[in-house]
Amino acid sequence: MKKYIWLCCLATFNFAGCKKILDLQPTDKIQASVIFGDPQGVKIYMANLYFQLPIEDFTYFRQGFNQNGGDPNNGGFLPAMVTDEAMHTEFGDFVGDNDFQWWDQGYKLIRDVNLLIDVIPTLDIDATEKAALTGESSFIKAFAYFALAKRYGGVPLMKTSQVYEGDADALKVPRSTEKETWDYVFELCDLAIQNLGTEKGRRASKWTAYALKSRAALHAASIAKFGNLAPLSGNAVTQKLVGLEASVANAYYKLSMDASQAIMTSGQYSLFRPTPANPTEAAENYRMIFQDPNGASSEAIFIKGFTLPGNNQGHNYDIWFQPAQAANGWPHPGRMNPTLDLVDVYENYTTPGLSSPVVTTVDGNTTDYNGYSAAKNYIRYDNTNDIFKDKDARLWGTTILPGTNWKNTPIIIQAGYVKPDGSAVIRTKDQITIGTETFHTYGAASTSQYSGFDTYGGNNTRTGFSFRKFMNQSGPIVPGWNQSTTDFIEFRYAEILLNYAEAVIESGTGDVTTAAKAMNDIRKRAGHTGDIPLTSANLQRERRVELAFENKRFWDLIRRREYHSQFNNRMMHSLLPLQDLRALPAKKYIFVRVNVPNSNPRTFEPKSYYRYIPGIGSNGLVQNPQY
Amino acid sequence: MKNIMLISLIVVVAFSSCKKDNYDGPTAGLSGKFIDAKTGELVQQDIIRGTQIEMIEHGYDPVSPQFLIVKTDGTYDNSLLFANTYTVRPVRGNFITLESQELPITGKTVLDFTVTPYIRVLSPKVERVGTKIIATFRLEQQVVNEVQKIGLYAHSDSRVGEPMRLLASEKQLNAVSNPATTYSVEIDLPSNNTTLKTGNSYYFRIGALIGVGEAKLNYAPAVKIAI
Repeated sequence: MKKYIWLCCLATFNFAGCKKILDLQPTDKIQASVIFGDPQGVKIYMANLYFQLPIEDFTYFRQGFNQNGGDPNNGGFLPAMVTDEAMHTEFGDFVGDNDFQWWDQGYKLIRDVNLLIDVIPTLDIDATEKAALTGESSFIKAFAYFALAKRYGGVPLMKTSQVYEGDADALKVPRSTEKETWDYVFELCDLAIQNLGTEKGRRASKWTAYALKSRAALHAASIAKFGNLAPLSGNAVTQKLVGLEASVANAYYKLSMDASQAIMTSGQYSLFRPTPANPTEAAENYRMIFQDPNGASSEAIFIKGFTLPGNNQGHNYDIWFQPAQAANGWPHPGRMNPTLDLVDVYENYTTPGLSSPVVTTVDGNTTDYNGYSAAKNYIRYDNTNDIFKDKDARLWGTTILPGTNWKNTPIIIQAGYVKPDGSAVIRTKDQITIGTETFHTYGAASTSQYSGFDTYGGNNTRTGFSFRKFMNQSGPIVPGWNQSTTDFIEFRYAEILLNYAEAVIESGTGDVTTAAKAMNDIRKRAGHTGDIPLTSANLQRERRVELAFENKRFWDLIRRREYHSQFNNRMMHSLLPLQDLRALPAKKYIFVRVNVPNSNPRTFEPKSYYRYIPGIGSNGLVQNPQY
Repeated sequence: MKNIMLISLIVVVAFSSCKKDNYDGPTAGLSGKFIDAKTGELVQQDIIRGTQIEMIEHGYDPVSPQFLIVKTDGTYDNSLLFANTYTVRPVRGNFITLESQELPITGKTVLDFTVTPYIRVLSPKVERVGTKIIATFRLEQQVVNEVQKIGLYAHSDSRVGEPMRLLASEKQLNAVSNPATTYSVEIDLPSNNTTLKTGNSYYFRIGALIGVGEAKLNYAPAVKIAI
């Protein structure tokens, strides 16, 4: 009882003293005037904004951005694995309604940047610094609205920060049209371009703003041009909240073209090592760009650094995706499975300008996925990668092909063998002794000695290819979470060249000669010697192989409205290397094209061209079609 | 002892609150058919990614629409709806678009839709000729748009269709169909012997897709053939 009396007394005192107590400034929070009054404070605030920037880097997964917290265990399922670039070793998931959302976080970033924009005029800094801050905050805001527009179409535009005055309904802003949203992105890009300096570094510059505009305008133009390939219906469509008129396509292509051109004519950037002596050198040059972007500073326009290992700092590409033989004690490596579909796309040096499907049989049939048959006449090769000998260097720089070296170890990827009697043992652990020699289906005896096809631990490739691009070759894997510190290139010069060429070819305007040269310069960096004509098909193939695994393919399929036609009951494909023991004593290999084992056909639903808008029950917004 | 008393208290509170929280389950339902306005026959549909019936329940705002799927034979039945007034409209179908209608649903309500299919697949014939499955048919289209593609779809399940298939053989037409033409699509058995295995029976269904935005395929009924 005594206690209660005490409590009552306390309460009385508390309430009596309320006014004065609450007038005190909290001591556990920093006041806006303090942080923004000091240039160092602004720098810290800015660092936080950059951290929130929706960069689709090594920490971007279907759950969202910055997936490198304490336990980032998502099995290593990458966005690339819902495109035709790769499969996951175990999971067969496809694009889900809840994937790739960025709504709450998007508006949080926009609010944070709006607060900064509010205080810029009041800061005690000189005009140049104010312009730089204006430019930088516009860049961040443009980046955020681009990320929203490509996911949701037209969204509410928070041009200034809101103030809560007791009425939540007054804060509700309806969606703008998709066109208004894109136009706002470009308006912000222009503001950034006007105000930012030309100094290169890890922060926004005039060049990063041009690069953003180049990419965003190409996206918008493509939706305008190709939107009718996948028409949608419903309230959001009739109110023009999703979709763009075909008539605006060329104006947007022009915006993209001009932004790219500003970078191309600036003389600030160039391709990294543009004239390799041979394809082997080209493959290594290409790989080097991604292993250390800082060494390719002529090409990298905007780098996101991963400087320190640790929670919310490092990333997990090396542990998830290096081949099983390089695991160094990590229990679940080798989870990137580049598809045969991607491998087929690369040109052969002998047939420039053409995708060159991997030919496995004498009859040259590359559409037969029925599996091994003793009756078929397979081409025999001396080793497991001779079959790719003539392929574009970037295939060698992007994937680990069977039998190629990684960290001085030959990576063994073998799916089985054909016995001397012509029967095959495929994807089953087995061995056979012929004469004095013992042969293993997976090419070696134990799970630590090979990297393919065994389902052990979900660690081996099931497509026949492992992963090289972005992988750190310089040291052994550190077997723990968030230990990789390879930097990520968000914008690089090659993409700008490709954006430019695409805008020219798709709009039918602009300088075709410069555009064709842009595309062919990239091919020559990859060891090609002749030019091919600039066509839409050539350009798209070039984009796929040059930008593979840079998280561009997903958005290319979206913006060009190709996803639903490319993925209609589609099976992805694998290449099975088999040792052909019928050829003994000669060591020969054959290859079999098959559907990816244990996988299902995939179909893209047209509604997935837009994500659903979360929380329409409270925010009162018009939902996107079919959700 | 105290613990037991606490637990009992929680149990008593939890169970006593049950009655008030529980609403009645859905008691109403809606069923019906899609009927061809000219022939009076059912209009064949897809079980997945096919025509859907959009139902917007009144009295809530905003409200997420419900989508009913339709069976392959052109009938539908949802026996678990709450009695209420709904705005009902078939959407993204394989027939000329219908207007929405307001419908009070109480008990087991029946609603048939009389529609004009985009394409009628006439005199369909699917048969085995040698080592091939050959489908022949004529097309009677009801709108001016081009026919995008025609196809023969195979599956071990009778609900076969373009979205649900083991195998498809398709031809891109991209042209207005000629009512006098007999179209044919074929599946070669030996080159697909790992998909269509000898000794099993499979369902084959002819489909045609009109070039209208969001349109679904029109079909002939599925035919069962032993390989």
